Amino acid sequence: MSRSIGRRIEFEVAGRVVGPALAAFERAKKLARRRGPGRPGKKSSPFGPPLEATRKLKELMTTHYLAGRYADGAVPVAWVTSGFPVEILRPLGYHAVYPENHAALCSVQRVVPELSDAVEKEGYARDLCSYARTDLGSVLTGKTPVGRLPKPDLLCCCTNICQTVLYWYRALAAHFGVPLFVLDTPYVYGQAPGHHRTYVRAQLEELVGIAERVAGKRVEPDELEAVVRVARDGTRLWGECLAQSRARPAPWTGFDGFFHIAPIVTLRGTEACNAYYRMLRDELAHRVARGVGGIRDERHRLLWDNLPVWFDVRGMSTLLAERGFNFVCTSYTNAWAEAGSRIDPADPIGSAVLAYTHIILNQDLPNRLDILRRLSRDYSVDGAVLHSDRSCKPYSIGQIDLKQRLARELDIKVLVLEADHGDPRAYSVEQGEGRLTAFMESFA
Amino acid sequence: MSRAVAIGVDVGSTTCKGVAIDADGAIVAHRVEPTHPRIEEQTTRVVAALEQELGTSGLPVGSTGYGRKRVARARALTEITCHARGAYKLVGTAGVLVDMGGQDTKVIRIGKGGDVADFAMNDKCAAGTGRFLEVILGRLQVRFEDVAALVKSATRAVPVSSTCTVFAESEVISLVAQGEPLEGIVRGLHQSLASRVAALAGRELDGEVLMSGGVALNAAMVDALASALRRPVRVLPTPQLVGAIGAALSVV
Amino acid sequence: MRHAYIAKQRDEHGRKAVAVLPVHYPKELFTALDLLAVEMWGPPGAPVSADAGRVQAYVCAVVRNALAFLASGRADACEAVLFPHTCDSIQGLATLVTDFGGWSKPSFVFQHPRGGPRPSSRAYYLSELGSLADGLAGLAGRPLEPEKLREAVRLHRRIDAARAALLDGRRRLALDDVELYRLLRRGEWLWPEDHLAELEAATARLGPSDVQRGAPVLITGYVPEPGTLFEVLCDAGAFVVADDYAAVGRRVVRPPAALDLADPFHALAELYWAAPPCPTRASDQVGRMRYLAELYRRSGAAGVIVHEQKFCEPELFDVAAVKKTFAGLGAKLLYLEGELETELSGQATTRLEAFVEMIAATARVA
Ligand code: SF4
Ligand code: SF4
Repeated sequence: MSRSIGRRIEFEVAGRVVGPALAAFERAKKLARRRGPGRPGKKSSPFGPPLEATRKLKELMTTHYLAGRYADGAVPVAWVTSGFPVEILRPLGYHAVYPENHAALCSVQRVVPELSDAVEKEGYARDLCSYARTDLGSVLTGKTPVGRLPKPDLLCCCTNICQTVLYWYRALAAHFGVPLFVLDTPYVYGQAPGHHRTYVRAQLEELVGIAERVAGKRVEPDELEAVVRVARDGTRLWGECLAQSRARPAPWTGFDGFFHIAPIVTLRGTEACNAYYRMLRDELAHRVARGVGGIRDERHRLLWDNLPVWFDVRGMSTLLAERGFNFVCTSYTNAWAEAGSRIDPADPIGSAVLAYTHIILNQDLPNRLDILRRLSRDYSVDGAVLHSDRSCKPYSIGQIDLKQRLARELDIKVLVLEADHGDPRAYSVEQGEGRLTAFMESFA
Repeated sequence: MSRAVAIGVDVGSTTCKGVAIDADGAIVAHRVEPTHPRIEEQTTRVVAALEQELGTSGLPVGSTGYGRKRVARARALTEITCHARGAYKLVGTAGVLVDMGGQDTKVIRIGKGGDVADFAMNDKCAAGTGRFLEVILGRLQVRFEDVAALVKSATRAVPVSSTCTVFAESEVISLVAQGEPLEGIVRGLHQSLASRVAALAGRELDGEVLMSGGVALNAAMVDALASALRRPVRVLPTPQLVGAIGAALSVV
Repeated sequence: MRHAYIAKQRDEHGRKAVAVLPVHYPKELFTALDLLAVEMWGPPGAPVSADAGRVQAYVCAVVRNALAFLASGRADACEAVLFPHTCDSIQGLATLVTDFGGWSKPSFVFQHPRGGPRPSSRAYYLSELGSLADGLAGLAGRPLEPEKLREAVRLHRRIDAARAALLDGRRRLALDDVELYRLLRRGEWLWPEDHLAELEAATARLGPSDVQRGAPVLITGYVPEPGTLFEVLCDAGAFVVADDYAAVGRRVVRPPAALDLADPFHALAELYWAAPPCPTRASDQVGRMRYLAELYRRSGAAGVIVHEQKFCEPELFDVAAVKKTFAGLGAKLLYLEGELETELSGQATTRLEAFVEMIAATARVA
């Protein structure tokens, strides 16, 4: 595969100059709009003042997607799952595309039905994970709210979040005709036996070879170590951001976290990611010091389990905030902070074995219960909402038992909410809001 | 009147249809009754009545529809094969037949010789069927005869995103509560259903699109389908008798 | 019937029964240790206990019914349960029912590699086999003797050979589909030697020339439930000429001509990679499509039936490619989806019959 210098310049310019400029322009447009005639009769917002960091977040992500438009032909491109050890690809100069993050974006923009329809016509059942349907639909139709996604040179899929990604990436491999690297992390029941660790380690070594071959370059150990260090620090910083919400009131909402998670997922191992979280953490700490909350009147603190309902995050958080409820922690955003403790720059491969095998979705239910219990206590919650996500079986199976155990052991109120993380057609807003409202009323 | 050569009986879940055809496949007598639970008795009676009307007896009988196997002395074939044959007789060319009934919706590709080249049916929920419309229109207290005019009067369609009947019902109720215009909602419903059928039909549509079944009598649905498929839709004459004609043709 | 059989195996031969979830597992290990594997494909029908409510409605019927079945105590004739790592849902079931209640006897998991034919996968497969063998040996209360494992490998090759002969010689076999599938599926719980005897008796009914007269169809999918599907097919005038069910055809291994048995574990690994492609083993999709196209051509099928279980991720992700593959071959295809019903719905029956009417008509034209 040939990569041209001209393309490389376009890629760099897009990422470094045009992206930030464009983001600034968008911001200016929005500000101008906001300064226009005020909207009379609108209720005052139940939320605290908006986070300053959000602006930077938009800039970061706009830049990432904009650079992506010019990445193929300029640098090697990998499409990777959210739980993949991207650290190994970074020193080789890969541009990493995260189809899950892209699908979430599509859901927020409410284009999932259209993209999904396109693949349903091909024979993909609507019962399959909506991330996969969205991504395959985008590949098939070429439609995406980010303009364009670069074609992959390598597909990288790790089974530590689910097997769905495996089937989905197999289909991508058949479509693009490029190599697929599956990092298979056997599910952990209790403790991971030694031969499972040996297996994951051997695969990581194979990955290095394959990624090098595709990139036409070798991984330098010191560069790898540097990236791993940055990734570990980034993960810790993200953990520090989340931990700010142990304060009362929590300085932001758990639903804000769903958006601010994007850099740790898609830009993990880059300085830009860490700079961002330093800024976010400082802002949050500052809010804590001044007693500024994510919602104006925090009366009840909740835990959220499973993926967000991307297309209705705003609606749900408003509904809750209006009644003084805040999701102060989520098992989903926490997952990206947990890994931090296991990453070790001195032993990039060995520590990756542990870090990437011990992911919440790759461990049994007792472990899951432990995490929920720990979060509930650390964040002093009075209740929990377990999002039963029609699209995500690994995250959802077991929630009915988890509900009973959490409620009994911690004496908190727990609701299982039926919805979907991506596809609005699988969720009835009316029913969902009805259930959430009834749940909130039970706290009176 | 030309001589009858065969009888076709189509036992659907709501109506039982019988036709007698002549050697050219033209209808010489027909009857339509609500389906009776005792299908054997009812169809024997329908056949006898047709024969008596024509002053003949012992005509070969073809049957179709969900009760097809309970028709005495008949050769039973599915609705799909019979609809294709009936439609082909009526238009004489290959095409795509959309048959929308109360319980199911079928899309049948009719080949050059009137054979079934391919077909698709909605899955088991009511989402893509006439029943979906019926339930929700009932909920909105819109009468069937008013539907077409109502949809015509709508200046815009209010999108209804849920395709599951249960979800759509609650969605529609909340749209009403939000003050959305009734005619817009009804138009949105038609569009939603039409897109479901279009998905069933798939991309490649060779030849004319034909429509049969009870829902074909709803002009608003025909329009919605035409715009979802981006091509004209021709409603077959006597749309509810197409299956019975095909059944009769199969024993000629 | 199964209960009586399991009891008899225990009392007369001292064989402990182990319940096994779908799909792929090294059955030879069981046979070599005198353990009776009893597969649980659901079972079909309504779930037998309220525990079914412990998983959401969007989880497949196989897992839902298995949960209800295990938790109801109806599998208590088994001394242990094995969860092969087939999909996220079985993975979830394995922790749900063993950690949160429903099954308190021993349980094993068997996680086959998903990384494709790389050196790491082979090495891992061997170690995973070893680990399961140790666990099962503990249950059986005796060590696994290499010679017994070799014998078991040989026995199961004879079973495969007989199954392959029946499936490949389908046109010459004087059994209808209902009888054939009943026979093949008894292998899911019979002691392998008993099953082999039945299979070999059936091979005697392979004649010199074709006896099947209907329209030949290729069937692919998950599990042939409900069995009445074959009655409908038969009545409509069709028969299955090629099988690619996960439960049936995809578990018939046609091994390399000379299987080296010196190290029986290596032989098992060899067989694992020689098995027909299956999405639950993460086989490469392009390779699987090639395999299906070849099966279609070789069998001379006049149409294809794809018969899946609702919510089954590994299978459903391949359906689009399957449709595309057969459309490319100009093959007529019918897609059916079930939820372990015990009877085919009226609608499904109509679709099957219409499909047979359609392919029979074109077969005549051709
Ligand atoms: S949402 Fe769930 S099923 Fe879908 S890719 Fe993520 S982990 Fe897998
Ligand atoms: S039917 Fe599919 S999803 Fe269900 S247990 Fe079997 S392989 Fe898993």
